[in-house]
Amino acid sequence: MSESLDLTLKVWRQASHDAQGAFRTYQLSGISIDMSFLEMLDVLNEHLINRGEEPVAFDHDCREGICGTCGVVINGQPHGPDTKTTTCQLHMRRFKNGDTIVIEPWRASSFPVVKDLVVDRSAFDRIMQAGGYVSVNTGNAPDANAVLVPGRDQEKAMDAAACIGCGACVAACKNASAMLFVSAKVSQLAILPQGKPERAERVLKMVARMDEENFGSCTNTYECEAACPAAISVTNIARLNREYFKAMLVSDPV
Amino acid sequence: MNWLVRALSSSVGKKFVMAITGLLLCGFLVVHLAGNFLLYVSPEAYNEYAHKLHSQEQLLMVAEVGLFALFIFHIYLAFSLTRDNQQARNVSYARRETKIEVPGPTRRISNWMMATGFVVLGFLILHLADFKFEARSFDYEGKEPFDKAVMILKNPVTMGLYLAGSIALWVHLTHGFSSAFQSLGLLHPKIKCTIEWIGIIFAGAIGIGFGSFVVWAMIQ
Ligand code: FES
Repeated sequence: MSESLDLTLKVWRQASHDAQGAFRTYQLSGISIDMSFLEMLDVLNEHLINRGEEPVAFDHDCREGICGTCGVVINGQPHGPDTKTTTCQLHMRRFKNGDTIVIEPWRASSFPVVKDLVVDRSAFDRIMQAGGYVSVNTGNAPDANAVLVPGRDQEKAMDAAACIGCGACVAACKNASAMLFVSAKVSQLAILPQGKPERAERVLKMVARMDEENFGSCTNTYECEAACPAAISVTNIARLNREYFKAMLVSDPV
Repeated sequence: MNWLVRALSSSVGKKFVMAITGLLLCGFLVVHLAGNFLLYVSPEAYNEYAHKLHSQEQLLMVAEVGLFALFIFHIYLAFSLTRDNQQARNVSYARRETKIEVPGPTRRISNWMMATGFVVLGFLILHLADFKFEARSFDYEGKEPFDKAVMILKNPVTMGLYLAGSIALWVHLTHGFSSAFQSLGLLHPKIKCTIEWIGIIFAGAIGIGFGSFVVWAMIQ
């Protein structure tokens, strides 16, 4: 039999966007260290349902670090204590018997709380709609290898494209800035030949949208990079700044 | 020109202006410090330099207006960005931990930019009152620049405040210098480490350089 944990959970409960939220304390015992963090929350919810209480709302989908929906702040750290890990990939073996675990939603004006730990991250979608795409004609798929991409560029673009849009960068930043997210999205397209024709317009539009959504600005603290489950580097932010600079000076006004 | 104003009013654009004004002010610090070092050469050298500088009235005026503009932009944007940043998080965390494993020497300092900036601003105002406007209750009458400098620097209040100002400047530049390069998009991985070290050394040199005059005055 594997080890088990007795835990105190302090969970942010908020009935709806407009409702006043507060922490509620719950005791859980016999949590297996082999459980994932979300499975632990499932156990909590089962208890709550059995007691006739409202279960804790939290976002999740793939539970394997791909979809980016599951982010919560665990003991002050987005996605919990591990680096390069999403909440769903976090395991209870990272905690000790008797621990108190504080669980809060992402805190950002641009990510309003929907309920409990669930926040509305559609601000990211709107930034993507503003320019995070390439315009291509529909029709047959182009020939493989018709457009050659140097290996080095592939690597850089893929590194940037690893972003799962979870919002941990915003959650970790003291300014709730979305620069790491936006820079990853700008970079993944700016580096590839398919993304080049629209690169100037793209960066200007995405930054404008980012500002409209009231994200903060980047003070180069680099908390985002440390919190990112996909290990997106702040070098992308430098690239975004560069792209913006170029677009500002030497592109047709949009 | 509309496009430029628009581009520079975005969050990224404001950081450009912040970075450029900051780096230009760094340039001013270098020139100012170099001039001050003449205090160590000899009273005559310093006096001659001071008189020559002050005889260039037009040039001085242009420089002063330019510097004033740089400061105004830098300070205005500091407030504007800070306000935006505070509004971006309306509810704060109950608990907050960093995930930066080994915080690099320059990383946490970004939290201190506003506070150190305020101290530097206070230092600047006092310094202008002391030397330019001769507004403090010293006996400025008929003193040569060298004697005036020693007189002001020997004052215990000046000493404390100037030292605090120099240290604040040191801290401010430790983050500010390399951060400016990142904001301008120039911190490519190729040069990142070099720029960060240059920033640390530069900030130390400026901080110690300006602080040294207070210590020097003590033993005059
Ligand atoms: S549930 Fe999909 S990333 Fe965690």
